[in-house]
Amino acid sequence: MPFALSTPTMRAAEPRLAGTRPLVAPSEVEQTGTALAPQGPWRVVVLNDPVNTMSYVVLVFRKVFGFSEPLARKHMLEVHEQGRSVVWSGLREQAELYAFALQQWHLTAILESDEAH
Amino acid sequence: MKRIEVKLSLSVVAPLLDLMKASSDVLEAQIAAPLTLDDIDADFRDEWKAELLQGQQEELRALMGLFNSDFFINGVVAFDEDNAETIVRACSALRLRLRRHDLAALEDEQLESGGIELEELPEPLQKPYMCYVFLGTIQELIIQHLDTAILGGKSDDQADDADGDDLGDEGDEDDDN
Repeated sequence: MPFALSTPTMRAAEPRLAGTRPLVAPSEVEQTGTALAPQGPWRVVVLNDPVNTMSYVVLVFRKVFGFSEPLARKHMLEVHEQGRSVVWSGLREQAELYAFALQQWHLTAILESDEAH
Repeated sequence: MKRIEVKLSLSVVAPLLDLMKASSDVLEAQIAAPLTLDDIDADFRDEWKAELLQGQQEELRALMGLFNSDFFINGVVAFDEDNAETIVRACSALRLRLRRHDLAALEDEQLESGGIELEELPEPLQKPYMCYVFLGTIQELIIQHLDTAILGGKSDDQADDADGDDLGDEGDEDDDN
């Protein structure tokens, strides 16, 4: 095998929806200090897929949300083992920005209303 | 600037480039990751999709640009702080396309396990699978060595300023002669 490196991947799941247009780049949003509201009416949920590798997903979580490596890995494992992980919750507009950023990295993200749970 | 140069086996990689190019061409017009935008304003949705598509196009052009005339002379591709993020994203997009279109016959569990023997695959699946693994390997190399660049200095990884990696058959520097 010419490329022997093991590339463990996430597993499959169907996407459902995303959000709306990005008003500000997520990295800028993150720096405003408004991105880490612990609770809110909308959840950003990352779904499992069979293609993107675990290390790639960890990288994306660190990049998009500024997670520490252990936290990024925790969410990655949730996605891997449970098929989904709630990676952020807060206001709808902000959630849309994050969903967009995740789509830019080719991850599958959906938005869910907290009120539905 | 951190930089890695990867020596590829031309005889292994060159045959994959046609498929990569064909997949890349398809992705000029469609987003690689599945996307459903049911509940948002149509104008926003269109703008969102257009922006995602534009970004994806730029990523794929950067990736395919690595395999230029110089590559066919020396078999080397280089990754650095300027292209690392773009290339790992492009690899993801292409892998998604390959999985959905060319490797649809394989089960998720097969791909996930990494235990597929190339020789045991039906011939039509062999090149797509080689391509899929190749792109994943490129991603892993970049993430391993250049995650600090992608994360904007947030990583503890202290990769060397200039690393060399061989991505051909284990131990083979270049078997295209």
